[in-house]
Amino acid sequence: MTNPYKILIIDDNEEVLNVLYNFFRKKKYDVASASNGLDGLKLFEEDGFDLVITDLVMPNISGVAIITIVKRKYPDMPVIAITGWGEHPEALAIESHADLVFKKPFELPELDKAITDLLSKKKG
Amino acid sequence: MGPTLIGTSKNIIRIRELIKHVAGTGLNIVISGETGVGKEVIAQKLYESSPRKGKPFIKINCAALPEGLLESELFGYERGAFTGAERKKRGKFKIAHEGVLFLDEIGDMSVSLQSKLLHVLQSGEFAPLGSEKEIKTDTWVIAATNHDLEQDLKNGKFREDLYYRLNIIKIHISPLRERVEDIPLLIEYYIKIYNSQFVSKNLIKPNKNIMEKLLSYHWPGNVRQLQNVLKRSIVLNDWEKIIEEFPTSIDNAKEDLITSELPPEKFTPVADFINFEGGNSPDLASFSLKKIRKNITDKVEKEVISYVLCKTGWNRSNAAKILKISYKTLLYKISDLNIAPPQ
Repeated sequence: MTNPYKILIIDDNEEVLNVLYNFFRKKKYDVASASNGLDGLKLFEEDGFDLVITDLVMPNISGVAIITIVKRKYPDMPVIAITGWGEHPEALAIESHADLVFKKPFELPELDKAITDLLSKKKG
Repeated sequence: MGPTLIGTSKNIIRIRELIKHVAGTGLNIVISGETGVGKEVIAQKLYESSPRKGKPFIKINCAALPEGLLESELFGYERGAFTGAERKKRGKFKIAHEGVLFLDEIGDMSVSLQSKLLHVLQSGEFAPLGSEKEIKTDTWVIAATNHDLEQDLKNGKFREDLYYRLNIIKIHISPLRERVEDIPLLIEYYIKIYNSQFVSKNLIKPNKNIMEKLLSYHWPGNVRQLQNVLKRSIVLNDWEKIIEEFPTSIDNAKEDLITSELPPEKFTPVADFINFEGGNSPDLASFSLKKIRKNITDKVEKEVISYVLCKTGWNRSNAAKILKISYKTLLYKISDLNIAPPQ
């Protein structure tokens, strides 16, 4: 059965991006991906997503900018930040109202569970 | 008419896209790139494309002012805040309220002042010098630098927390030598502008040969240097002569600086440094070898630094390398010796 939710994943690390993309495709989510902030923002502006996963430190538009822009437009849309850059980007992500911050490396099932919880909360 | 971002290179196209998508966000931005690439044009373009257009656009150069003065310029002060503060002064954060504050050369800001800037960015509030009352400010901060801030982070010259808070959006503009396809368009654009400014002159477009030379030149001073070359071409009205003056590489530029002679009129006779009174008899009372040495050193340094800056198209990083002094020392000398760019 196809999962009804649409997820946008943004990460400049192609390896991480591919792993996440393939994992959530297998989970039957409708997935779109971008390898930098600007392309991610363009996808977000064009299409209706249910949830956004974004890396924080990226060229041109950072994950903090993505979180801020998404939350300004859709305050209820869940946004998950993933980062391997330490305390400062994490603090900024929380300040920008990211719903969750995952530190790299993380377990995919944990991320999957967090997404299920956030989407069911949104639906409820 | 607003500022124009000229070019069809991938870099310029990407910058235009970025401006379109982020100008309305008011999120902190850092524009990076070598001296003379046009970082201020991008800042102005962001401002012109934003809802803040029409509100103040305030620029301050963080490298041009000593730390204390920069702090009082940014935050203002109350009457009596320090000796000489005879009346209250509004700071740039107050003046730029609801508009844009363009912090040029942010990489040259001292670490202690960086912490004060961080406080404003975190809280949206600042206190003028001599005041305990915090003032709210809604200012869009756009910073620019020719430093490698990541390297400055590693060397402890730039605060990590400020780095992440400022770099919410990063715009990098490539040096002109990496986007040669933009050069003909820039030449065409500026020839049009300068021809309309200098009514009696009419610079013609360079022919194919000249253009090839212009395209293969490394442009250490970037667009600003190209502008200077075009202005000079208008005055001389001779492309061949202009091209002959071009060093072909950085190494040649250094060699050129060493081997070329300063024009004779630039030399100042030693007697001019000494206070002679009554013909050739020095006034012994005011005679001081130390003072004379300082005068001569200042004069020579001023001429040499001006010459190197002129040759590098006012690219201060390159000039500092050629002069084998630190970037900071060069900035200090520019200010101390009153060296100004050609108008």
